[in-house]
Amino acid sequence: MGFPLGAVGLSIVEKPTPEGEAELVAACIAGDQTAQRTLFRREYPRVHATVYRILGPSRDQDDLVQETFIAVFRGLGRFRGESRLSTWIDRIAVRLVFDHIRARGKTPVPLGVVDHEESGSVEIDAQAHARDGLRRLYAALGQLVPEQRMAFALYAIDGRSIAEVARLTGVTAVTAKLRIWRARRELMKRAASDPVLKEQVLS
Amino acid sequence: MKRITVDPPQSDARRERVERQVFAELQRMRMAERADAAIPEARFRGWLVAAAFAAAATMAVALFATHSTEIKIAEREVPSQITTPIGGTSQFTVGDAVMVAASDTSVEVKHGDDGGITLVLARGSVDCDVAPRNGRPPFHVLAGDIAVEVVGTRFTVTRTPTPRVDVTRGKVRVTAPGGSWLVAAGQSWSPSVSTTVAKSEPAPEPTVAPETPTPTPTPETPTPAPVVHRVSSQAAFLAAGRLEATDPARASKAFRTIASGKDAWAAPALYALTELHASSDRDAALADCAEYLRRFPHDPQAEDVTWLRVEILRTAGRRDEARSAAAEYLRQFAHGSYAGLAERIATPN
Repeated sequence: MGFPLGAVGLSIVEKPTPEGEAELVAACIAGDQTAQRTLFRREYPRVHATVYRILGPSRDQDDLVQETFIAVFRGLGRFRGESRLSTWIDRIAVRLVFDHIRARGKTPVPLGVVDHEESGSVEIDAQAHARDGLRRLYAALGQLVPEQRMAFALYAIDGRSIAEVARLTGVTAVTAKLRIWRARRELMKRAASDPVLKEQVLS
Repeated sequence: MKRITVDPPQSDARRERVERQVFAELQRMRMAERADAAIPEARFRGWLVAAAFAAAATMAVALFATHSTEIKIAEREVPSQITTPIGGTSQFTVGDAVMVAASDTSVEVKHGDDGGITLVLARGSVDCDVAPRNGRPPFHVLAGDIAVEVVGTRFTVTRTPTPRVDVTRGKVRVTAPGGSWLVAAGQSWSPSVSTTVAKSEPAPEPTVAPETPTPTPTPETPTPAPVVHRVSSQAAFLAAGRLEATDPARASKAFRTIASGKDAWAAPALYALTELHASSDRDAALADCAEYLRRFPHDPQAEDVTWLRVEILRTAGRRDEARSAAAEYLRQFAHGSYAGLAERIATPN
């Protein structure tokens, strides 16, 4: 069984039917590398985005995405179709990122000295400001306990619903909500003395 | 609550790199499993021959026990069992020790009356980060008939298929039938590979092992059995892979040694070497690509290597050569994984 690959690139995101998905999974388990590559290319953009949004700019991102897909292909035989394949894959990614964050502990990202000298170009200044905001956001997230950081990043940055956050992190919706609320409270405390962060976090 | 907009950077080249690495790693794992599956049978034949010496062995073990570190496991509480699925890892802590159980590992944690901790490794691999034991309760790892006593260190014990101990920091004392050895940081220990095992892999040993494999006999061992250690290509390949991040130069040397062999590990080693060079020495990487395609034109990774050549040339700004390489890729793999991108590169603007 073969799966036409179509164009190469990030644009291949086809919504699979349940039957098509089951067929694809079966082909992957049977070792069909074309099917495996199709699955990889379909799921990569979302997994990459989720890992990036939780972790922020980091050298470990690609390793974690790679680990996720290796775990996916090695464990696909255990996928029972009880949830959507994408949810199952996301859960693996979230667990690996969580283990990674927990293993590293609280890692303050040095903010360094931000040179606010005006460049004269509105666009360049806006980009620099956005980068600065991003750096400050992830520096602040790095100070949270991993459980709160995960829940907050999945909800407020990756745009997941409370129910999804609960499913992906293996807790009840109430716990997920509480973690998000606590994370936000912590971030707001830090934002009180940081106008750039405040802009990112506060509505 | 306001949603925070964070747009992840998107890049085809980056996705391709991750994709290549994922499938190369899966390929390595499949090969490792095939090799693992072949070894027990070979070892079993070896054990049949050894059965004739069973009585003598029993006596030897009794003698050995008097010299070895005594490990008493008086259970104080219900032991905990950690089992990781294939592809997963588990981090767990026991007292002051932090352990990471690798994929497909089964390990039992036992607490002794003296507060000591013993990990019993049924299969797989466990990485332990343990504080020096000066005055602390003892810490042991048992893997089959070998025992590892912590002196103060970070180390990995692997049981599948052959016991192996890799020490990253500090020292451990390994006790096994035949003697005991102090294994220091940077050293590895494993029992000698029997000739039957060696036969199962035609050209198994690199002349230079990536990590010092020969155990150092402890001074306290009265008559340590001389161990002629033979490192299989599989073990050397896995060890080289572990070195990639910390010591690329040694990893490169080890991969080259394995790649120069003629067994099944030569192709994956040359591929790993090519990937390693691609980020540091493009000319060497291009030479590796050429060698790979000349020696292993029908290997499953040949397509990736053909594409890697395009990517190296493109990254180096050698556009004309990249265009020719992309055309060559299309000639061989018209419907290949990278055909769309190859067409874009091969077609002049």
